[in-house]
Amino acid sequence: MNLSAIEKDLMIVNMGPHHPSMHGVLRLIVTLDGEDVVDCEPILGYLHRGMEKIAENRTIIQYLPYVTHWDYLATMFTEAITVNGPEQLGNIQVPKRASYIRVIMLELSRIASHLLWLGPFMADIGAQTPFFYIFRERELVYDLFEATTGMRIMHNYFRIRGVAADLPYGWLDKCLDFYDYFLTRIVEYKKLITRNPIFLERVERIGITASGIKWDLRKVDHHECYDEFDWEIQWQKEGDSLARYLVRISEMTESIKIIQQALEGISGGPYENLKIQCFDRERDPEWNDFEYRFISKKPSPTFELPIQELYARMEAPKGELGIFLIGDQSSFPWRWKIRPPGFINLQILPQLVKRMKLDDIMTILGSIDIIMGEVDR
Amino acid sequence: MTNKKEKCGRDKKMQGRLSVWLAKHGLVHRSLGFDYQGIETLQIKPEDWHSIAVILYVYGYNYLRSQCAYDVAPGGLLASVYHLTRIEYGVDQPEEVCIKVFAPRSNPRIPSVFWVWKSSDFQERESYDMLGISYENHPRLKRILMPESWIGWPLRKDYIAPNFYEIQDTH
Repeated sequence: MNLSAIEKDLMIVNMGPHHPSMHGVLRLIVTLDGEDVVDCEPILGYLHRGMEKIAENRTIIQYLPYVTHWDYLATMFTEAITVNGPEQLGNIQVPKRASYIRVIMLELSRIASHLLWLGPFMADIGAQTPFFYIFRERELVYDLFEATTGMRIMHNYFRIRGVAADLPYGWLDKCLDFYDYFLTRIVEYKKLITRNPIFLERVERIGITASGIKWDLRKVDHHECYDEFDWEIQWQKEGDSLARYLVRISEMTESIKIIQQALEGISGGPYENLKIQCFDRERDPEWNDFEYRFISKKPSPTFELPIQELYARMEAPKGELGIFLIGDQSSFPWRWKIRPPGFINLQILPQLVKRMKLDDIMTILGSIDIIMGEVDR
Repeated sequence: MTNKKEKCGRDKKMQGRLSVWLAKHGLVHRSLGFDYQGIETLQIKPEDWHSIAVILYVYGYNYLRSQCAYDVAPGGLLASVYHLTRIEYGVDQPEEVCIKVFAPRSNPRIPSVFWVWKSSDFQERESYDMLGISYENHPRLKRILMPESWIGWPLRKDYIAPNFYEIQDTH
């Protein structure tokens, strides 16, 4: 590993790919001096599925079922970014109602993601109870999703020109009920966790990063129709794990407020824009061409990506999720690069755990909020 | 402010603000126009990249948003793309720039910018892993997503998956 390990009698421990908590398959090779951590090297790649290479051979519609497998806890964001890229390339306007539905789904997904971050974070620290509580709320979110999209988590819901299907009758009322219920739950979490002295002991001044800038891509980039709602960016000045926890709890509160405003303000109208102008030109190859397929069906008209490149990004619950898309003049992209927030945030882990104790590694790893699906793709 | 949302065709050689600033200071670069959102794109040679990276950091671009690599054509050059932004307090529509560094396929070596922007650590390793671009002065340049003993560069267009005997026409 490193030469100093041999001189100073340091211990190298492998925290193997399997974890009791839900971080995913991440292998950490930790160099320890007694209980102090000297170095930590993460080894990735256990969940690498070649998403970027696959994307070069799929149209956008064919690729949408794959994208929910990057960040499988906040699936609407991955779908939204997949669809936003080609929409920006084609200058496609999304109707108002579809935009509102998207915002509601995105914020519900953000709440779901933060809830499922909170559970394993507390479980790593030692408190097993919030793990069950968050699943109770997450089940309600799953029910809402299932009513609209048909699937609990791997919804294939967003489409290039809007959403796939409209909200069913009565969904808005159910969502308002969820809003009322969830506000009481957040208060319960805050009462249970935030001023708990054991929690504070484990979390204050652990894993300090530089922070303190009010930066949220939803406000900076003027996404969808976030400008029409009244909400605040959550940020904290210190950079320890407690600050990250507080930011996420308050982000959940802001999300539910955005949902409530969107539910009140949702308009009628179409949920998808049926007028795309950018179809893939039908090319009939000759019978002895390389491209000719003797046994195949004629593909349906698909969205054609122009030869332009684009970096589309959005504020996923874990950070900035981005797609660098280079179009080819066909329905398949030439390069589809995914910029996952977990991958970037994982890089600072070795810096954060230096001079911390062994049990703080799990706290810090939990507070960075990574999900291996998107780290490895 | 830089021209945002301005879609200019590639026949018009318009120079963005950063390009003008770099030219004023005599730094060799080539302006590649703007991408679809109006973000300026510049091309830098691999030999100059490490110095221009420091200059850009000092100029104010303190956030390396994303570093990716792609190959321009099967058999052509390999490109390494850097998206830089300036993060400031409470800013609307921040300045962004996109830098491309092209490297020949036979000897793809590009200086690493790890010492300028730390977030390029894993990303450069991933570009090395997937496309074979080797970044000089990177502290731990080894494969990150594929197993360490893998041969070949998966994301290149002329990559053939080994031991894969089905018809490789995936539709």
